Amino acid sequence: MPSRDEIIAMVKEVLQQEFDFADADLKLDTHLVDDLDLDSIDAIDMAVRLEERTGLHFEDDDLKSLQTIRDIVDKIDGRI
Amino acid sequence: MIPLVSRAWRVLVTGFSFALFGFGGMVFALFVVPVLRCLPGEPRVREFRCQYAVHRSFKCFVRVMEFLGLLAVEVRNAERLREPGQLVVANHPTLLDVVFLVSELPQADCVVKQAVMANPFMRSTAVSSGYFANDPGDALVEACAGRLAEGRTLLLFPEGTRTDDGRLGRFRRGAAHVALRSGRPLRPVVIHCHPPSLMRGQRWYQVADRKLRIVLECCEVVAPEELPAGSGRGAAARRLSSRLRDFYAKRLQNLDS
Repeated sequence: MPSRDEIIAMVKEVLQQEFDFADADLKLDTHLVDDLDLDSIDAIDMAVRLEERTGLHFEDDDLKSLQTIRDIVDKIDGRI
Repeated sequence: MIPLVSRAWRVLVTGFSFALFGFGGMVFALFVVPVLRCLPGEPRVREFRCQYAVHRSFKCFVRVMEFLGLLAVEVRNAERLREPGQLVVANHPTLLDVVFLVSELPQADCVVKQAVMANPFMRSTAVSSGYFANDPGDALVEACAGRLAEGRTLLLFPEGTRTDDGRLGRFRRGAAHVALRSGRPLRPVVIHCHPPSLMRGQRWYQVADRKLRIVLECCEVVAPEELPAGSGRGAAARRLSSRLRDFYAKRLQNLDS
């Protein structure tokens, strides 16, 4: 079972690979929409990558509830 | 005195044009669309017929406005729009941008606001023309890419809406996603309105002090770049969208000067 730190690193890696964000832009409280400008299509792409990495499935309601990177990490941490 | 009379005339003919558009849209939905729906043919053919009728109507509407002295439209490199199956994108400085563009495109699939789909008259025309409602998400991108794969021309406004000051707004990435998904280049049309008018938040009677000069410049295509290995399509859409916006910013600067 991955540790919380490993989950944080994995989420950041997915965001960097998928959207080319710099590591410095990705803090736990970084807002997905306000700070990273993620739109609904980006959210789906991000979810697909996270599903590939974790084996979890993200429903539309899950995606809508995610506001920050911390929310993604909490969601994965709570399910693994 | 002359500027005052000229302004009063412009308010009058602007009001007439708005009324003509509303009334014409109603007549089109009530009398033209039902006839077109009754004509034989597969759905695609019937949509093309309706799109062509919208195209002719908008062409007439533009001619009426030109005749009334409200505006003058100049289309540069119009032949670039004749090629079928293109992903046409445009900036959105005025209320009438879709009218100007569709008047140049005999066949064009459009993405329309939810408000259009909620209006019974506009909805009838939009549905019969095969237009899409502006639903956020992946399904719309897929549907748009599917239309391009069928060889149909698609018209998108990357800004999504007009800005309050007529300047170039933020580009959403939907058009870039459609280009990447379909593998088609973007055909940019730069719309320039001088003096700025018909912007968001402006009332219909807030007219310009002179005839509007509208330039539609059909530019060379902008092709998506090859994706570097391991790079996500989210990053590719951001890069393409950013390139497209820079392209528009430069072109508009040239037209302004």
